Amino acid sequence: MSKDIAIQARGLGKRYLLGAAGSRNDSFRDVLVAGARALVGGGRKSAFKEFWALRDASFDIRHGENVGIVGLNGAGKSTLLKILSRITEPATGSASIHGRLGALLEVGTGFHGELTGRENVFLYGSILGMRKEEVRRKFDAIVEFSEIANFIDTPVKRYSSGMYVRLAFSVAAHLEPDILLLDEVLAVGDLAFQRKCIEHAKELQKRDATILFVSHNMFSIKTMCDRVIYLRKGEVVYDGNVPGGIELYEQDCRGAALSWTDTKPEEWPIYITGSELIDEHGVARNLFDFGERMTLRLHYDTRQAVDDPNFIVAMIRSDGVAACNYSTELDGLSLGRVTGPGTIELQLPAIKLVSEMYSISVLIRAKGFQQILCGQTAGTFHVRHHLFNTHFGVFHEPGHWQRVERDSAPRIASGQR
Amino acid sequence: MFDLDLGAVWRYRELLYFLVWREVKIRYKQAALGVAWAVVQPLFTVLIFTTIFGIFARFPSDGLPYPVFALAAVLPWTYFAEALRRGATGLVSDADLVRKIYFPRLIIPIAGVTSPLVDFLFGMLILVGVMFWYGIVPGWTIVLVPLWLLITLSLALAIGLWLGPINVRYRDVMHTLPFVTQVWMFATPIVYPLSMIPQKWQALYSLNPMVGIIEGFRWSLLGTGQPHLQSIAISLSVIALALVGGTIYFRKMERSFADVI
Repeated sequence: MSKDIAIQARGLGKRYLLGAAGSRNDSFRDVLVAGARALVGGGRKSAFKEFWALRDASFDIRHGENVGIVGLNGAGKSTLLKILSRITEPATGSASIHGRLGALLEVGTGFHGELTGRENVFLYGSILGMRKEEVRRKFDAIVEFSEIANFIDTPVKRYSSGMYVRLAFSVAAHLEPDILLLDEVLAVGDLAFQRKCIEHAKELQKRDATILFVSHNMFSIKTMCDRVIYLRKGEVVYDGNVPGGIELYEQDCRGAALSWTDTKPEEWPIYITGSELIDEHGVARNLFDFGERMTLRLHYDTRQAVDDPNFIVAMIRSDGVAACNYSTELDGLSLGRVTGPGTIELQLPAIKLVSEMYSISVLIRAKGFQQILCGQTAGTFHVRHHLFNTHFGVFHEPGHWQRVERDSAPRIASGQR
Repeated sequence: MFDLDLGAVWRYRELLYFLVWREVKIRYKQAALGVAWAVVQPLFTVLIFTTIFGIFARFPSDGLPYPVFALAAVLPWTYFAEALRRGATGLVSDADLVRKIYFPRLIIPIAGVTSPLVDFLFGMLILVGVMFWYGIVPGWTIVLVPLWLLITLSLALAIGLWLGPINVRYRDVMHTLPFVTQVWMFATPIVYPLSMIPQKWQALYSLNPMVGIIEGFRWSLLGTGQPHLQSIAISLSVIALALVGGTIYFRKMERSFADVI
């Protein structure tokens, strides 16, 4: 493996201005109004709020390294990739890139619905920086990889979203860069296609390509990377081996607000302060064998009294499938009026989920599945089984089989008139 | 600061080609009349102009049949207006690309002013047909048409380089542009000849760079008048300055495109 530097980042920082005039689509009128206000207000500087999406990030990445960029939502991962791919300029510091860089921050940007698959392959290829000649040479391989050869002359607006993404990824996969920046793009398509993409990335690795990979999927990070850079609130807080980075992520995940909740965590009337997963002997663990029983213990606190909160616990598989769900209300526990700190325990039935990684989401709703009071993550766990993986579905439970004598077969006509 | 990095644009020339190709393809793909639209639009415009200005208002037309007189100016003007529109608003219509993929941003306005050339070429076929109908044979000056076209493209690009970055920030540009273009058209000798402008106002009038250009087109295609060298020289220097300044301004502004668009 060559030890040359592929990416050198020194003190990278990116600042955004938040506030009325810093938002998008502001019109000239807003500026006039703001200007007039500033005049009337005695030249008070503006209500701009500075926000550092990335601050003082420095690191070296050698050719052939595969680095996972990990962190919670809003930690600055995408900003980092955008700077490295030259889409946006850093406010401070600089980055130098040595080698042909390919960046996939979103699969299929630049595809046009009216054009056919074939036309889009050429268009998208050139957008990604490939030469026409190169696309022509690789065209058959691209189409074969995408598995949609029959539709290659159909306008892509008629494609299913899966087909669309397959074709786009296939083009991108054939870019053959020295340095590849990937932002969650592997989280597309069905599982079989995802495997194929990971296989392809491994092929790239064999050819000594450098890969920077942003993902929330710790399984992909584990399989693909040999180093993790961990970002927290825009700063590099860890740069080292993979297990250490994943550990940090799992720590930070515990209690973090779910990305899609639209209320401010500081205003939630009730919230989770901590959580533990324990086994039948009361020992905290996060690796369980298929068939074991685990107990989830949730500690909460309140800012105001809450009547009959409905605690909902969901197990989300690493590919985003909501695998199962428990609720105090459905399971028949009424909590009455809740004030102050407290603890609630959920004893789960024997685990029947297939071997994978799951994250636990906790939602607290007002009585009757109304308004969401709080939405947080409560850590992750792995299920282990030598056979049952996602090919077996979401869970596995044995069925009862028996051979039926011909006489006792139900009469088909019985249901009809 | 003066590092314009035009080499990067050259390295991405194939992307330029594909963006132009995409625009042209999409424009005609979903229209039942397809390429005919490139022809129908200027034809109807000229029909209306001929009726209103040629027949009712009896505008002079340099001794030519009014339809030929108007068409020779409507075609380059239509190209200019469309090139200006796409040059100035291309960044916003391709916002997804700007936000997610790196390439020299200059490619977008350049592609914007290039793609309407295809419409112009189809329009020229019609002009040739109409001239043939009226028995007008163009002189040697017709070989200068590409030159005028290049000047028109440069003007549209120069303005696009200034307006594009402003439009990224303030969408007001794209709302104002159609209106401005329309006013500008009537300030240019399209429906009337330059000779209709009183002598004492002509110098001021010629500060509009499109005046020299449109007159140049008419001269090349129909042999009317004489190119006014002085006003053309003024136009050219203004365009050159705006082009260089616009490129510098554009390169300076493009750093924040992905953040504000």
